[in-house]
Amino acid sequence: MGENKTHPSKFSSFLSSLTSEGFQQAARAMTEMVGETFSVTEPKITAVKFNDIPKILGGPENDAVGIYLRIEGNFPGQIMMIIPYSKALELADLIMGEPIGTTQSLGRLERSALAELGNLTGSFFLNAIADSSGVYVRPSPPAVIVDMVGAIMDIILATSDVLSEEVLMVQAKFIQNQRETQADFWIIPDHPTIDTLTETAS
Amino acid sequence: MRDSLPVGLGEFKFSQDPEDILIAYGLGSCVGIGMADPQTRIAGLLHAVLPYNPNGSLIPSPKYVSDGIEILLNELVKYGANPSRLIIRMAGGANMLNAPGFTQSFNIGARNIKAAYDTLQRLKLKVTSQEVGGTIGRTVRFYVRDGRMTIRTLGNQEREI
Repeated sequence: MGENKTHPSKFSSFLSSLTSEGFQQAARAMTEMVGETFSVTEPKITAVKFNDIPKILGGPENDAVGIYLRIEGNFPGQIMMIIPYSKALELADLIMGEPIGTTQSLGRLERSALAELGNLTGSFFLNAIADSSGVYVRPSPPAVIVDMVGAIMDIILATSDVLSEEVLMVQAKFIQNQRETQADFWIIPDHPTIDTLTETAS
Repeated sequence: MRDSLPVGLGEFKFSQDPEDILIAYGLGSCVGIGMADPQTRIAGLLHAVLPYNPNGSLIPSPKYVSDGIEILLNELVKYGANPSRLIIRMAGGANMLNAPGFTQSFNIGARNIKAAYDTLQRLKLKVTSQEVGGTIGRTVRFYVRDGRMTIRTLGNQEREI
């Protein structure tokens, strides 16, 4: 399988500017939703081997939370945010404006708050793509999965055979009231999507 | 002290050392299929991701349930296992995306399980025990010594199937 073949650097830098813009807009929407100032650091995009994802998250058996969206329309693909379970609890506190350590488990409310974060981030990222290229894209409703890292990753593999390939990792820090929590997103365009996007970028 | 051999996504491993434990971590829709011959003390574990090799690909790969079962069986037989004696255990194949808005077409877990049954039937092999389907991830341990399989899910004790 060709490494870097499916994610040329041109595509990565094109995506980088869109991601940054999309995340800033998502932060503004979060601010409105939470009622407190929410910001996002400049997202860092790197290409990572799919097989290395469990290492980044502490191992395939570690408990984690996945927030998953399908990208539908002219640029089909997937967006997955995988956060270690303890970080997801912090993130839920952040979104709900609670002191860190308040959320001890993820009930319906907390899951829905995390889903909303995924939804906003995904939507604004896709809006940025649509605005810059004039194509039709929309996210599916978000799904929140609490399970082992390996089991969450299987969701990506079920629709896109990227096992021995590189995927794009977007690392961003969500900041609210000087508190910050890091979240990693994985963007996996379906294969024909990459060619179209790269053409748009050229 | 027993040695643990992790079996990664789309891989298979086998061992003739009775002290070894073959492990597939965090199976979601993937399936783990263990085969052991208690007489020759050889055992292998497959960690397959997708049901069938896509059309046009002529190279068999353990990434696929159908190919993987045949590859594992052939390896074990090559090292002296007798297919009629095999203990075969299977776990995984969960539907990890059991959420509104996602259709059953995403249920790769069910398709993996079906591919496993169809392939085993074609090869005239029978499953000794299994724990498949559901909506949760599983870590699977397969013991070379006796062909036991244990399963761990998030927040639960390890148990034998």
